[in-house]
Amino acid sequence: MNEEIVSKVLVLDNSLEHAEPIKRFCEEHNLVGLKVRKSRLMSVLRTNIDLGGILYSETYGGSPEESAEIALLIHAARPELPIIVRRESEATLAGLPDGLRRIACAAYVTSDMVALSKVIDEYIFSLMYPNALVRGIVEITQAVLGGQFKTLAIGCETPYIVHDRLIFGELFSLMPLESAWCRGYMMLQTEEAPLLEMLGRGPDAGAAAGFRAVNNLLGEVTNLIWGSFKNCYIGAAAALADSQIQVPLIVNHKHKYISFGTENPQLRFRFTLTDADTGRIVKLDQSFVFNLSWSPEDFKELARFADGHGDAGELELF
Amino acid sequence: MARILVVDDSSTVRDEVANFLKASGLEVATAVDGKDGLGKLKADPGIKLVIVDVNMPNMDGLTMVEKIRGELGNSTVHLIMLTTESNANMKVRGKAAGVKGWIVKPFNGPAVLETFKQLAA
Repeated sequence: MNEEIVSKVLVLDNSLEHAEPIKRFCEEHNLVGLKVRKSRLMSVLRTNIDLGGILYSETYGGSPEESAEIALLIHAARPELPIIVRRESEATLAGLPDGLRRIACAAYVTSDMVALSKVIDEYIFSLMYPNALVRGIVEITQAVLGGQFKTLAIGCETPYIVHDRLIFGELFSLMPLESAWCRGYMMLQTEEAPLLEMLGRGPDAGAAAGFRAVNNLLGEVTNLIWGSFKNCYIGAAAALADSQIQVPLIVNHKHKYISFGTENPQLRFRFTLTDADTGRIVKLDQSFVFNLSWSPEDFKELARFADGHGDAGELELF
Repeated sequence: MARILVVDDSSTVRDEVANFLKASGLEVATAVDGKDGLGKLKADPGIKLVIVDVNMPNMDGLTMVEKIRGELGNSTVHLIMLTTESNANMKVRGKAAGVKGWIVKPFNGPAVLETFKQLAA
């Protein structure tokens, strides 16, 4: 796994002339660019629920009015995604049709990609995550999953930044994370059916596993990850921040949407559990949303998970 | 009459520990939280060992073990914590309440079976 954090962006730009500098920029700035033709836009939006933003050309729709209309459709579907507009002459939102100007967060020109770099840092990679934290989360989660699913191979994709608020799968758990340097949630999301199938094939498989078995399993995985996270990065309760501020979380089941009441992005890890015998794969998305407080400068690694993990399961007698 | 009481709100852990101990020939009862655990312990004088989680709804594990020694006045039952917590302050609190040992999850049955058998004898 690469510790470098990436983000997936839609590149809605038909210009051949600007394709190369945009591609190079994406590669150099940890962006995974998905180029999308106009005819496939809405279906791509439907199937990609983990986006970080949109690089949008003012000429994408042909005429300025049509470009504005398409951008408004995108914004209506996914208002949380920052839309960054490529202009032909000047890096300004001035002169764009009203609708597009209202929803775009910034503009750029390919002759000044340094300015775009600042925009990306402001609107996509808006929070900085310590490397030790990113590495530790992966180590902890892989160890927990490996312990719960002993016969499966556990993989982890490169961590990425998500601005989308759409829910993956039908099942998710939430665990509050409270410390002196962070306040927010860890969320685990998965699809029920692949996990049920995996459980049904396990060593303890008797009657077909029900959804409650899956719920319980996800709950325990969440609990184990949280416990190790706490031991490594949070420590004594006395160190907790004084603030008891909370905001409501909103879940809309119909639209598979969750809001943590903040514009802050999610730090997302995708784990894969692969059954080598059948080739079946379960995907587990783990998100960290620091919606209430985030002070990475105060982050401390109290213990390396890899160093202490060998003691797990041992009885310490007093 | 059971010899061991396993108290954990997670049915995954409860079942894993209880099934392992039963398969090893031990008699086991289970409880879903500290409150339930206190009730089960009160009702079954045969219980010699309580294995208890820390983070549970209704009543947490540390409060439960303090009540076992305090309210119930049971000074003989052996208490082992099985938890994701490894915080030193919690261990100090557990020790003060008469906890005999501390296990950081995940549960590794074979590593602790002999000790459990001795404590439950």
